Amino acid sequence: MLGENGAGKSTLMKILIGLIQPDEGSINVHGNAVRIADPITASDLGIAMVHQHYSLVEQLTVWENVVLGEPSRLNRADACARVVALSERYGLGVDPLAGVSRLTAGQRQRVEIIKCLRREPRIIVFDEPTSVLTPAESEQLFSVLRRVVIDEGRAVALVSHKLDEILHATDEITIMRRGRVVDRLTTGTATAAGLAQSMVGRPVSLRSEAAAFGSIETITQSVDAAPVSDRPDGADASPAGPHAAAEMPVVLDVRNITVIGVDGHRLLDDLSITVHAGEIVGLAGVEGNGQRALGDLLASLVAPVSGSVVVGGKAINAGRPGALSAAGVGIIPEDRHDSGCVLDLSVAENLVLADLDKVSRRGVLNRRALEARAIELMDAFDIQARSPHAPMRSLSGGNQQRVVLARELSAHPRVLVAAQPTRGLDVGAIEYMSERLRRAARDGVGILLISTELEEVLTLSDRVCVIHAGRIVGEMRRDDIDLERLGMLLGGMAA
Amino acid sequence: MIAFAGAIGDVLTSSTMYGSTVRFAALLVFAATGEWVAEKAGTMNISVEAMILTGSFTAAIGSYLGHSVWIGLVFGMLGGLLVSLIQANMSHRLGSNQFVVGLTLNVLAVGLTAYLNAKINPTVTKAGAIKIPLLSRIPLVGGALFGQTWLLYLLFPLIPFAWWLVYRTRWGLEVRSVGESPQAVDVSGIDVNKRRRQSVYFCGLCSGVAGAYLTIGQVGSFGTDGVSGRGIIALAAVILGGWTLKGTVGAAVVFGFFDALRFALPALGHTVNPQLLATLPYAMALTTMLLFAHRGRQPSALTRPFVRGLT
Amino acid sequence: MSAAAMDAGCEPAAIGPARRRSNDRLVRSVWMIATYATCIAVALGLCAVVVSATGGSAAKVFSALLDGSVRSPGAWGLTISTATPLLGVAMGTILASKAGMTNIGQEGQLLLGAAATAYFATRLDLPGPLLITVSLLAAAVIGGLWAGLAALMKFSRKVPEVMSTLLLVYIAFQITTFGLTKKWLLLATVNKTRTNNGEPLPASGHMPVIRLFGNTVTWGVVVALAIAAIVGFVLTRTTVGFRLRMLGLNERTARRAGVSAAAFGGATLIISGMTAGLAGGLWLTGGIAGDRFTSAISSNIGWQGLLVALLARGRALLAILMAFVFAALRTGSGFLAATGVDRRIADLVQAMLVLALLIPPAVEALQNHRRGRAGAA
Repeated sequence: MLGENGAGKSTLMKILIGLIQPDEGSINVHGNAVRIADPITASDLGIAMVHQHYSLVEQLTVWENVVLGEPSRLNRADACARVVALSERYGLGVDPLAGVSRLTAGQRQRVEIIKCLRREPRIIVFDEPTSVLTPAESEQLFSVLRRVVIDEGRAVALVSHKLDEILHATDEITIMRRGRVVDRLTTGTATAAGLAQSMVGRPVSLRSEAAAFGSIETITQSVDAAPVSDRPDGADASPAGPHAAAEMPVVLDVRNITVIGVDGHRLLDDLSITVHAGEIVGLAGVEGNGQRALGDLLASLVAPVSGSVVVGGKAINAGRPGALSAAGVGIIPEDRHDSGCVLDLSVAENLVLADLDKVSRRGVLNRRALEARAIELMDAFDIQARSPHAPMRSLSGGNQQRVVLARELSAHPRVLVAAQPTRGLDVGAIEYMSERLRRAARDGVGILLISTELEEVLTLSDRVCVIHAGRIVGEMRRDDIDLERLGMLLGGMAA
Repeated sequence: MIAFAGAIGDVLTSSTMYGSTVRFAALLVFAATGEWVAEKAGTMNISVEAMILTGSFTAAIGSYLGHSVWIGLVFGMLGGLLVSLIQANMSHRLGSNQFVVGLTLNVLAVGLTAYLNAKINPTVTKAGAIKIPLLSRIPLVGGALFGQTWLLYLLFPLIPFAWWLVYRTRWGLEVRSVGESPQAVDVSGIDVNKRRRQSVYFCGLCSGVAGAYLTIGQVGSFGTDGVSGRGIIALAAVILGGWTLKGTVGAAVVFGFFDALRFALPALGHTVNPQLLATLPYAMALTTMLLFAHRGRQPSALTRPFVRGLT
Repeated sequence: MSAAAMDAGCEPAAIGPARRRSNDRLVRSVWMIATYATCIAVALGLCAVVVSATGGSAAKVFSALLDGSVRSPGAWGLTISTATPLLGVAMGTILASKAGMTNIGQEGQLLLGAAATAYFATRLDLPGPLLITVSLLAAAVIGGLWAGLAALMKFSRKVPEVMSTLLLVYIAFQITTFGLTKKWLLLATVNKTRTNNGEPLPASGHMPVIRLFGNTVTWGVVVALAIAAIVGFVLTRTTVGFRLRMLGLNERTARRAGVSAAAFGGATLIISGMTAGLAGGLWLTGGIAGDRFTSAISSNIGWQGLLVALLARGRALLAILMAFVFAALRTGSGFLAATGVDRRIADLVQAMLVLALLIPPAVEALQNHRRGRAGAA
């Protein structure tokens, strides 16, 4: 099942497992029309799903999570034995007694898989399964998939927006666009370019939008074939190209930062990273390796226990509320609903959160100025909303992201931290975001791009750093990217 | 200072003090155990106060109408349950703010019971004390634990039962999960709000027992100000106990001790300012929370309403 | 009833989109009014049942409530003066709850405020207006300090303010009871007939009154309305109010934008304590509850003010209306004795009304959410 973000893939799959009820239409399972009222019914029909955002309760152990939602009596010994049996059968290496909060993203996914396989489903849905995995883990996942399909005769629906893995792992492809199925074909007859076109509905360049299609090969080809100066976006026009960036002043200098989480866990461990003006530094890494903590640190949401944050040559007390914002560090947070916007305030209000001076005098808000500024920014950043007074909640994800981007860029930051800036956006919105980031870099803003999408990091960055277990484990320039070494670094192996 | 130390010494060697600590603590332990389950599922139930008060009133009515302690107990449980029905359905079906509902119920319970009590003026059949052979002869604590009204003995099965319910049954697993991560639980096919409502009902039943115990086990009559904040202290016990059952029961016993101290000190011949004595349980609840509250890890979704799809 | 309301919300799906929207809005508001009316009717009906079941006459009770609150001569003035402390408490509460702080200890803050007013008004020898100003200021300060304790415990030791404010009510009550046993604190120096009463306030310690059409209203009303106006203005028109709302709606986003929860949240908690304390001062100097301090003086004004705030859902105008309704129930209950029904029935009516008024907005929010989800899916 291929389609860009927002095409309706997840909605369709949620209908299939009973989380959403369709208004019209029918579902046939093994030839019989069925009504799937809730996940229990789906499970009885033999349909199970491995969710994109984890459905695990962190504070419980693995076996408790695996049996959660089953109707039978609780039997610990039996449950553990079955977890172990399944874990051995598929080579997943899961300990039933481990606490989920201590597991890595990849291990958690394996718990999800066991939870799903334990019910012996005949149909398994995988929703964007590789977005949290290292390349090696993805490879392992696909080998498990092949086993359940070939050896055990189960059907697997793989939902993805990444062309590579769809071409690599499937037999048949269904393409969705804007809530409709637009194409069905067997994988053997498909080409990457053709798939991309029917996915987006217009001819697209695989090379310039490789990140949106998750196509690493095209990226590396473009690296090999065309040095940076030939990049389609005209990076050579930048006054501070990647090579020149080293001579530009350092705008953000994070030195030996350690952050401890609530459970005493080291989230960031002696991490150091620098960003020069006009440079895009990509921070690659598998989900859950401290990216969130780094984003929180640079948004003044957590205080480091040691180390310093220097912005434009000045040391900042990072833990003080609003300190980094005031110092000129803009941020597009990983989870905009968590710390990027206030859903119950209006679009206009969300556009000025930290920057009230421009719309107030002596502490009194000037509503006309607020509205005028909102209209100006909505225009400049092409934000679609009913009115500036519409609640933020009523906007689509892509437009909410533009509100955040507009607010952060209009404050003229020295540094812009973009954490997973394109997550959940469609191809058009991804393009727009990428272009804005490049333009900001050309204007001399130092950009720290934190992303788990390797493709995104590789297309946008002048320099790539790899984070693992809260530390920077490797760094390479864009023009000497070594994919093999990168893969090893992502998995935490020194290379 | 010496007088104070002497007083503490007197208190600790007085077996009546142990007895009254247990009597006062029992009310708190009943309610706190119920509230512990409700908080595990994500509700901070300030209407425990109303549940105990209503329970203690309906128990009086039951005992008055049925001339039986048993009927009183059942009525008490029903009274607690009635309040919990309103609390649970308003906060976990309609999604009203749980503090708003709880507070309103507290005001409502005070008004209603005072009004009806003045109208009906029930006389209460008090439950008798039963000495458990052998066990009640243990020095100092024997009489305190095993020479009490039989209603108090309900505690001994209730505590392990609550533990078993929460840690060893599927229902308990689901309750713990909805208090930690309702979104994840919803995806697993569990009705989050239903589990939360059920846990509040459990709290209502336990608090109803607490109320019945107060009226027919401890005091022997219904008093409109008989509860006076003990429900809130039960809540403090859950917080102080760090959301573990052990801790909750322990904290409730400590608060019960200070509650008992109010009556014990004058009885043992120590003159202490009566207002200072009266503040003791509340002040101790505050002080101990001040010292220890930050240590416990509360259920992640405590006090957060769940609506599917809303972040 | 709620199910019927939801059905109506979904029904017009078949009509064309342009007409559907206006139709939908009409249907929705009609249903909203119907829901409110039904809920209030059910609440009052239940109260009537309770009254009848205990041998009273519901009609007489409601009639007496109306007589006492608005119909009898001078009742308006009394009700408005009673609404004064309720509004004061409510506005502080609204401010705090907008910032995400749950102060539910107003009863104690109000009691201490009244005590402070009594202490200074009976001790200082100052000309009238100055005496009142000083003693009311003292009330605000002590109310603020009492709530400040809860703020301090929350932000230094993570004690939930829900618990601490509530527990502090009981302690405040004992403190004033203690004060009433000592002549050097609150106990009247000459006290033959009644025990545990405060010294009567001097004439200059009484709030001056305004006379209007046979009604007397204390100047306290002006103070309370001023508080309402200021809080309303701060919340909707100022940058401080904007930051407070941001904090209440999304603490992390607010922190990132430079709003410290400890500073802003703590300040609003203290301010809500100050208005509750001030309300206590106004209540005492207003003279409705007698001319001297007793430990029963707060008599649920704090709780009721809190309920006013909750029902007003953050809106100053609605708070003024609700304060009046609650005050009417209080003054009305004074006339109940004549009907042979316990005046405590007024508390019951009040609580039932509160529960009834909580239901419609909850149903509406639920409906909106469902509609929104249907639109998105």
